[in-house]
Amino acid sequence: MGGNKNKWIWLAIGGILLLIFPFILTLPFPRHLMIMIFLYASLGLAWNMIGGYAGQISLGHAVYFGAGAYTSTILLMKLGVSPWAGMLVGGALSVGLAFIIGYPCFKLAGHYFAIATIAIGEIAQQWMLNWDWAGAAVGLTLPILPESLINLEFHTTKAPYYYIAFGIFVLTIWVTYWIDRSKPGYYFKAIKGDLEGARSLGIDVARYKFYALALSAFFTSICGSFYAQYILFIDPDSVFPLMLSIIVCLIATLGGVGTVWGPVIGAFILIPISEFTRIQFGGGGKGTDLIIYGFLIMVISIYQPFGVIGLSKLLRKKEST
Amino acid sequence: MALLEVQKLTKRFGGLVANDHIDLQVNEAEIVGLIGPNGAGKTTLFNCIAGFYPPSGGTVRFKGEDITGLPANEVCLLGIARTFQLVRIFKDMTVMDNVMVGAFNRTNLAARAKKKTLEVLDFCGLSPKKSMLAGGLTIADKKRLEFAKALATEPSLLMLDEAMAGLNQTETGEAIELVKKVRQSGITVLLVEHVMEVVMPISNRVVVLDYGKKIAEDAPEKVIHNEEVIKAYLGDKYHASRRAH
Repeated sequence: MGGNKNKWIWLAIGGILLLIFPFILTLPFPRHLMIMIFLYASLGLAWNMIGGYAGQISLGHAVYFGAGAYTSTILLMKLGVSPWAGMLVGGALSVGLAFIIGYPCFKLAGHYFAIATIAIGEIAQQWMLNWDWAGAAVGLTLPILPESLINLEFHTTKAPYYYIAFGIFVLTIWVTYWIDRSKPGYYFKAIKGDLEGARSLGIDVARYKFYALALSAFFTSICGSFYAQYILFIDPDSVFPLMLSIIVCLIATLGGVGTVWGPVIGAFILIPISEFTRIQFGGGGKGTDLIIYGFLIMVISIYQPFGVIGLSKLLRKKEST
Repeated sequence: MALLEVQKLTKRFGGLVANDHIDLQVNEAEIVGLIGPNGAGKTTLFNCIAGFYPPSGGTVRFKGEDITGLPANEVCLLGIARTFQLVRIFKDMTVMDNVMVGAFNRTNLAARAKKKTLEVLDFCGLSPKKSMLAGGLTIADKKRLEFAKALATEPSLLMLDEAMAGLNQTETGEAIELVKKVRQSGITVLLVEHVMEVVMPISNRVVVLDYGKKIAEDAPEKVIHNEEVIKAYLGDKYHASRRAH
């Protein structure tokens, strides 16, 4: 029980530090960095629901991210719908997409599922590159509206974006925490562990795989809508790339799949690396962060397949013995 | 009334008839042993009843309801739980979490599932090992866990597929005691074994399969003297020489 109490104290301290962060560091860059960490941590957490807990390695999550970004943007541009409503519509649309994608793909096991999701991601990107009504390859520039929470646009300061990203991050952690401790979480892990074994214990495997993907797609989509409102420009290359699908998978894998805090740790390690290399090397250094990612992933998969979380557990065990 | 009633069940894999018009009846609170040499079709029959294979013909009724061809998860929900010959535990989860998965079959609430899980762990003697990862257990404990998981789904019929294969004498004895305890708690048991010594002392009735056909069904002490059964287990030659004496 003592350990549990400690955990809550650390959580509270961390939460308060993150809440007052924008008051301490007022420059745009640290805030931008934190917004990116929150965004990618949320994406990693969302991916973790299907990839980590249920063990279905999806490498096509950019589809849901892009669907969220495009849905809220198009609704805003063509119908003047508030991005908050657009975010929810995008989420619902992504759940629908999850069903359409999951229905055939879940019949495939292991690597074949991953390959199929890559193919679907590529199809989606090609489609968007050629769809004139949705801006095709030129992309969509969001209209500049007066600063307000309802418009979800802020031009003079990044602080509101910081708090919104933080809110999305807290929400995805909370949902992950709930999954981890409830029936769906146990069922997801059982499906990952042994399909036939899961079936024999009364688990409707197809239904629970879909639940995992639907939850994952919904939160990925919300992140997409937020991204569009933050950058105020989207095109198929920025919201539908294969690299995005791979990065969210890497974040969860590096930190530790199938755990609540793994993807959070992964994002706190990988996103600063990616942002700093981008600054150091500029456009010419594109991909440097990926070389470092690749190296880290190799190290992790050789020495500690359970990710950084697994490493910390191992160290704690050694200390106690 | 019969709890489980299998009628003329047939399962073909291409040209191979693994189960040929098998009739089987299991009454409430019985332990029925299903025996036969390797390849007799015992596991296939199990899989057909539990919904892992769709039967090619015949019917399976459970509590009077036709369950032929229902998927495994629905069969489990109706109250038939099964274990696997090669254990299918979730090795990266703890012993406790493994059993929790089974317990969620009857509830959506983690607190209730946990209560059931602790009961089952205690019943199966796994309580001291509940925080261990399932993958790190010994074979005997893995079999015990496989048993506990199935029990946690709160079945009225428990089907055990060679739950004692690969265990030593002491472990087998413990497993037999566990099966008896389960029966005493009011759960009906259908037991597949090809080791006769295990089935005989605990079964009320024994059904013998050979080459996909039912060749005998009787009380255990009668089955061991059945000519057909001896032939199936020991071959024609032994059978013939025994006659000559």
